[in-house]
Amino acid sequence: MALTPHNAFEMAQARFDHVAKLLQLDAATCELLRQPLREYSFAIPVHMDDGHSRVFRGFRVQHNDARGPSKGGIRFHPLETLDTVRALAMWMTWKCAVVDIPLGGAKGGVICDPHQLSLREQEQICRGWVRQVARNVGPTADIPAPDVMTSAQHMLWMLDEFEVIHGSRAPGFITGKPVGMGGSMGRVEATGFGVVFTLREALKERGIRAADTTASVQGFGNVAQHAIRLYHQIGGRTLCVSAWDQTDQTAYAFRKRDGIDLDQLLSITDRFGGIDKGKARDLGYDVLPGDAWIEQDVDILLPAALENQINEETMERIGAGVKIIAEGANGPTTPVADETIARRGIFVIPDFLANAGGVTASYFEQVQSNSNYYWTRDDVLGRLDIKMTAAYVAVSELAQKRKLSMRDAAYVIAVDRVARACKDRGWV
Amino acid sequence: MSVGGFGKQELAAFDRAFFDPRQRFTRIGDGELGGKARGLLFAADLLARESQLLVDPNVVVDVPASTVITTDLFDRFMQANGLYDVALSDSADDRIAHAFQKGDLPVELVGDLRALVEQVTTPLAVRSSSLLEDALFRPFAGVYQTKMIPNNQSDAGDRFTKLVEALKFVYASMFARGAKNYLQASGKTPRDEKMAVVIQEVIGTRHDSRFYPDVSGVAKSFNFYPTGNARPEEGVVHLALGLGKTIVDGGVSWTHSPAHPRAPAPFASVRDMLDHSQLEFWVVHMGKPAAFDPIAETEYLAKHDLGAAEYDGTLRYTCSTYDAAADRIVPGTGTRGARILNFAPMLDLEEIALNPVIRALLDLFARELASPVEIEFAVALGPGPRARLGFLQVRPMVVSEDVVQLDESELQQPGLLLFSDNVMGNGSSDSIQDIVFVKPKTFDKGRTRQIAGEVDQFNRTLLDAGTPYLLLGFGRWGSADPFLGIPVEWGQICGASAIVESTLPEMNVDPSQGSHFFHNMSSFRVSYFAMHHAQRDIDWEWLERQEQVGETEHVRHVRAPKPLRLKVDGRSRRGAIWYAPANS
Repeated sequence: MALTPHNAFEMAQARFDHVAKLLQLDAATCELLRQPLREYSFAIPVHMDDGHSRVFRGFRVQHNDARGPSKGGIRFHPLETLDTVRALAMWMTWKCAVVDIPLGGAKGGVICDPHQLSLREQEQICRGWVRQVARNVGPTADIPAPDVMTSAQHMLWMLDEFEVIHGSRAPGFITGKPVGMGGSMGRVEATGFGVVFTLREALKERGIRAADTTASVQGFGNVAQHAIRLYHQIGGRTLCVSAWDQTDQTAYAFRKRDGIDLDQLLSITDRFGGIDKGKARDLGYDVLPGDAWIEQDVDILLPAALENQINEETMERIGAGVKIIAEGANGPTTPVADETIARRGIFVIPDFLANAGGVTASYFEQVQSNSNYYWTRDDVLGRLDIKMTAAYVAVSELAQKRKLSMRDAAYVIAVDRVARACKDRGWV
Repeated sequence: MSVGGFGKQELAAFDRAFFDPRQRFTRIGDGELGGKARGLLFAADLLARESQLLVDPNVVVDVPASTVITTDLFDRFMQANGLYDVALSDSADDRIAHAFQKGDLPVELVGDLRALVEQVTTPLAVRSSSLLEDALFRPFAGVYQTKMIPNNQSDAGDRFTKLVEALKFVYASMFARGAKNYLQASGKTPRDEKMAVVIQEVIGTRHDSRFYPDVSGVAKSFNFYPTGNARPEEGVVHLALGLGKTIVDGGVSWTHSPAHPRAPAPFASVRDMLDHSQLEFWVVHMGKPAAFDPIAETEYLAKHDLGAAEYDGTLRYTCSTYDAAADRIVPGTGTRGARILNFAPMLDLEEIALNPVIRALLDLFARELASPVEIEFAVALGPGPRARLGFLQVRPMVVSEDVVQLDESELQQPGLLLFSDNVMGNGSSDSIQDIVFVKPKTFDKGRTRQIAGEVDQFNRTLLDAGTPYLLLGFGRWGSADPFLGIPVEWGQICGASAIVESTLPEMNVDPSQGSHFFHNMSSFRVSYFAMHHAQRDIDWEWLERQEQVGETEHVRHVRAPKPLRLKVDGRSRRGAIWYAPANS
């Protein structure tokens, strides 16, 4: 789903309306699913380090929990809006439904800029956020997770506050915790690996051997790095990656025509995913403008950075040989670009299917935390593969059967599941 | 046609359907298949092409459903977990195995394994298939481990965990001390070796907590120990009730010539036959395991006596009954009396045409490989007189054709260390100067496990020095039962160029029978001498006088001043070893 600075929630509703029409949903169900079930908007007063007090605005939106407790991240962002949170909460509902995990969708946020806050101040915001919604969230109601500018440390502070309020240990309240503190093995790799599980199935369906393919990747963060690793392990070659350069405040694409060496690139990458240009050149990489990733002569494009990257301006530059786009990022393709891509016969694995590995692993973490018994990495990733593969196959089969795009098919499955759950509960 | 010609390109990728009737043999990964898997692929292809040769409406022959995990995934497992350091260290086998258990499997493998166990709830065999395994002259038979798992837990997560444990166990077995010795004896290093693994359905039927084949067998198209009218080239078949572990470990099984299946067994009396027929059999234990031990091959195996088989109804086609009143043996279980596992309903009465099918298989594979062969199989019977023969393995056998003459006059020459008319091998040598022998004076059949460890020490030293040696001991070398001989693994004696096993009054047993052991001996061209203490003896006095190189409580290593002369006539199965007399 493409998120614009304008109104992401209206876009999310428009997408829902399109799918509701395909499913011929009745008016009441549409009305229920177009809006969040519950919204919490609250103040978080914090004593700042310099002695004065500030009041931050926090949100929690629970879009739908007909299929199970709501699940969704908490974003710390200075430009956070309630409508953005609403859109993302709705998106989480569909995402959980498409991979068929028994969770609903939620999202939370705080309007703040963590770069301008000390760790103590951030901790106060985390604890304050929990104090405001402690009775409306929890392992059986709503399970938060890290998101934009929140980390495992923030999750631990929130967990601690929640446990203090409730007077008991409840590691299943929150996910994204560090391994050894209630976190799950395989959680870090899950999103990137999940993208490649779906890509692998797409290649298999087309009778293409991964070893005969090449890819170009936008982004070099956690998702991209793990996706590249697994893609290489199944035989593929990545010819180009683009990465954000913090110093120059722009992105560069790093290309090697016979294939990048992931570990070599990682050795010259900083903790934000920025690649050292000079060292890359020394290692024989062509250093190109950041948007060059899209025009490479490859079989697969893997956008794994930002939204709206394949748009009206860039879509004509997509390499002639591209056969598949696997959307690792959220909303990398605009609706207009989607149509052009479809006309060119490029197969798209839509974002909320392709990158659902993360939420699936979060679900596994919650299951483990609730039972206080932790699985091996083999176990987590084995289950993840099965979930992602099953979701892909279901979407692909429906797309073929009803002659839908993969994106529409994924939405149809997800919305239908949620709508049925609402009906089964007697809500509509 | 050669086995080596078969590779991954002939094998379809695993499509998450283990029992898919169109693809019963698949692979996960893009690396090498390993020797065993290549052999199975060759067998599956041959059986499909030549099925008309094996037509018997009641005996179906096939390769059990199998998926091969190729060597590239082994490489990735080793590298990603940094396991080579511990694997190549001198750490104890169990420490290495534990380190492997802690490793993470490659992510591209775990989903397929999970998918496999989600649809299969019957026992699986996780079998090694290394690059060097089953190669013609370095067979690595039985060097690496196989693990059988019941795979019947109600939760797929539990089944997955057990499959993963078994896989890591088999990977770790490549670095067990015995395997390392074996590699060294083969002139290889662990870096030359890679492990693929075959996950295979276990042929058999479940009876309560027991899952086992009605018959398992090893058949060879060349017989090193023919009896009666049988000729070596007519081959030999060993049959056992239950899992084939009984046979490959050298336990008691029923041996017959496929050309003469009705020939009377070479027993002096019914009593003798009762004493020497199989009394216990191995099964996959489907109940709660006795103990959690992922690094034990036998974690899910159990041994039962024939009473359990009687209860299960699996003796109907496999045994005869001793009718004490008439003092005769009656095929089948129709009368009361002691049961004797001689497979008479199949071999004598041909109620199930197992023997003709085995003969046809031996002929077919020997012809295709242009070599005598050894095959392994398991048979599930029923319903009624029907059978499914699961083809488990094929290996070429090494049979020397050199002509060696051993005249009677030579046996009168001075310096005769030993002579045997029960010898395996063929040829002559004068390169052995070192002798490792179990000391008869301190031999104690209650301490054979300790003796095995002592022999291992000498073997390792001599291997490191590249020195061939003659090994002498009592009872069966490689016996699974420590009271019937010295329970070494092949890797613990693999540096020996000639092996002697002798009886003692307190260790009066038949010669070694383990099929893996014999395959290794023949493939390594190790001469094997079986001696009986009541006949000709070994010149122990001469041995006692030789320069001592090393000694432990039960074993001594000596070095002769001059090389020994060894001669084996494979046709007459006679052989002798001479030392150079003092005045020569």
